[in-house]
Amino acid sequence: MVTESPQKPGRGKAVSWLRDNRVVRSIFRRGYPDNDLDRAAVMFSNFFLHVLPARTHVHSLKPTYTWGLGIISLFLFVVLLGTGSLLMFFYVPSTGRAYSDMKDLQFVVSYGVVLRNLHRWAAHAMVAVVFLHMCRVFYTASYKAPREFNWVIGVLLWGATLMMSFTGYLLPWDQLAYWAITVGSSIASYPPLVGEYIRTLMLGGDTVGQNALIRFYVMHVIVLPGVMMILMGVHFWRIRKDGGLSRPPAPPSDAAQGEAAAFSPHKTYMLVELAEGKTPMVDTQAPEEEVMSWPHTVFRMLVVFVGVVAVLSAVAYFFDAPLEDLANPDHPPNPAKAPWYFLGLQEIVSYSALAGGVIVPAAAIIGLMTIPYVDRDPEGQGTWFTSGQGRRITLWSIVAVIPVVLVLTWLNEHYAVRILVPGASQIWVDLLNPGTILIVLFAAGSLYIWRRTGSSRMGALALYSYFLTSYLIYTLIGLYFRGANWAWIWPWQATGLH
Amino acid sequence: MTASMDEQTPRRRMLLGLGWVSFLISLLGPVLANVRFLFPNVVYEGESVLKLDSLEKYTVGSITFFADKKIVLFREKDGFRACTAVCPHLRCVISPFVGAPGASPDILRARCPCHGSTFDGRGQVLGGPAPRGLDFFLVTKSPDGRVVVDTRKVVAPSEHFKL
Repeated sequence: MVTESPQKPGRGKAVSWLRDNRVVRSIFRRGYPDNDLDRAAVMFSNFFLHVLPARTHVHSLKPTYTWGLGIISLFLFVVLLGTGSLLMFFYVPSTGRAYSDMKDLQFVVSYGVVLRNLHRWAAHAMVAVVFLHMCRVFYTASYKAPREFNWVIGVLLWGATLMMSFTGYLLPWDQLAYWAITVGSSIASYPPLVGEYIRTLMLGGDTVGQNALIRFYVMHVIVLPGVMMILMGVHFWRIRKDGGLSRPPAPPSDAAQGEAAAFSPHKTYMLVELAEGKTPMVDTQAPEEEVMSWPHTVFRMLVVFVGVVAVLSAVAYFFDAPLEDLANPDHPPNPAKAPWYFLGLQEIVSYSALAGGVIVPAAAIIGLMTIPYVDRDPEGQGTWFTSGQGRRITLWSIVAVIPVVLVLTWLNEHYAVRILVPGASQIWVDLLNPGTILIVLFAAGSLYIWRRTGSSRMGALALYSYFLTSYLIYTLIGLYFRGANWAWIWPWQATGLH
Repeated sequence: MTASMDEQTPRRRMLLGLGWVSFLISLLGPVLANVRFLFPNVVYEGESVLKLDSLEKYTVGSITFFADKKIVLFREKDGFRACTAVCPHLRCVISPFVGAPGASPDILRARCPCHGSTFDGRGQVLGGPAPRGLDFFLVTKSPDGRVVVDTRKVVAPSEHFKL
């Protein structure tokens, strides 16, 4: 197939030679893909592109369907790998050096501060974007068959993203790092029976010290990125195997009526497509709904990548990543606040460590993972909020949660168990606090909606919206309404916020 | 694979099952060894028996807060008591006890800056999320007349080291 492509008019000889010579051919085999055959071939012959299909469904390219959140998450991960690898050249995970290495990166190393800023803001952005991506997948019912297991992998990736943040913020060895890990590892000791073992395993001892620092470092730079890369590989591969991105079922057309007519005469099928029999790609996708992935998908991805890097660079240039005082094991800062994405959790932990640190997170993760196996009805797949009814239920679930959370917070301030009965037994504190009460209310509310509408999807929409809204409110409370000793304050009284 | 499972003799199926079970059991050893490897046998994290100043340095009614050693020493007219300064909720260091000098332990208050647990001078939880009270430790005297707190030995909050 190797033939010299004819020189295009208006293009210099040198440019042609640069694009098409013996060495370039040895790398890319074919010339620049300027015809449909080469555009399809490049998706098979290029290692980095072969995860993409040769042709993409137009629905998958709609910005208002995906908002590009999955691909943005991937690009943020790539930026984090790059900046993280560079930072490793200057950072030594030793309690005696870690903090001064951070100061060197800020004030001594050329572009050190920019790289650290990029790494920090990309990490924050990834926590937010991965979460938004999960919301998109949920509200478009994309977790339904055949994508149930890919949703489970997505939940694991979300957990891994949070673990990456958690392990990463011990490394600067500043006050935030030290006390956040002291608190976080203590939360890990609350599950019955295994708790203390988990804590010892995390810290490599009984206090946050050198053993903990090296463990968190190894997790942050080797173990977790490795796990994430494997999970991401499976996540992307399964998108292909499960029939591409989710979309609404195609309207029944004449072509889809007869058995043989399910195959389009205008499309060439590969052996694997036929060997597996009925695949989602075969019977729902008509050729006229597809575009060539080169250039339509590839160049959109490129634009998104450039956009991500541009926004991050601008933010990293104007805003410095915070670095608090050197870790002081004698005095926690007051208030001692976790980063914003854990503040909601910290607020619930302040009611009861068992409820906030174990029961609520476990219920949320188990609930998320089991949703596709409970809500099996294929209704509404590929449509935001499923239907007008779904839209209304989502909206009203969000609206209804706000007063409930605020009233519970007020009750907890004035009539908490230990205010009514000083010295009350811990079991009452663990049972009667806003965290556990909300779980019961949320379960009851979503089951009621499921029964009332007869649709598990409507129940799921309500449940997800309850959790989402309450977590956002608790994050805001932790961020703006908590001061010294975690006492209630108003935002204009804020002291010691970082 | 030429013969399907159905066509195999029960004996062959049993042997195959035995093979699988042995294989899985043989995996257990290395996995457990690797998990055990991660639990340290020796940690170098400072002393658990803390030697403080000589007895007479602490006047009656004084409460001394040792942030670095993470303990609080009470000198009362009955003798010495010592409790941990680590909050039993999530291990933040509590703030020093507040109260008039020589005040009864019931009136003393200490708070945790992380999640707002409140304790009295007997270590009892008065408010906040702490699941239990502050631990009190055995106080003794060293041969050279200094106060010694043994953080490995938990005692009742009312127990004093009498002079």
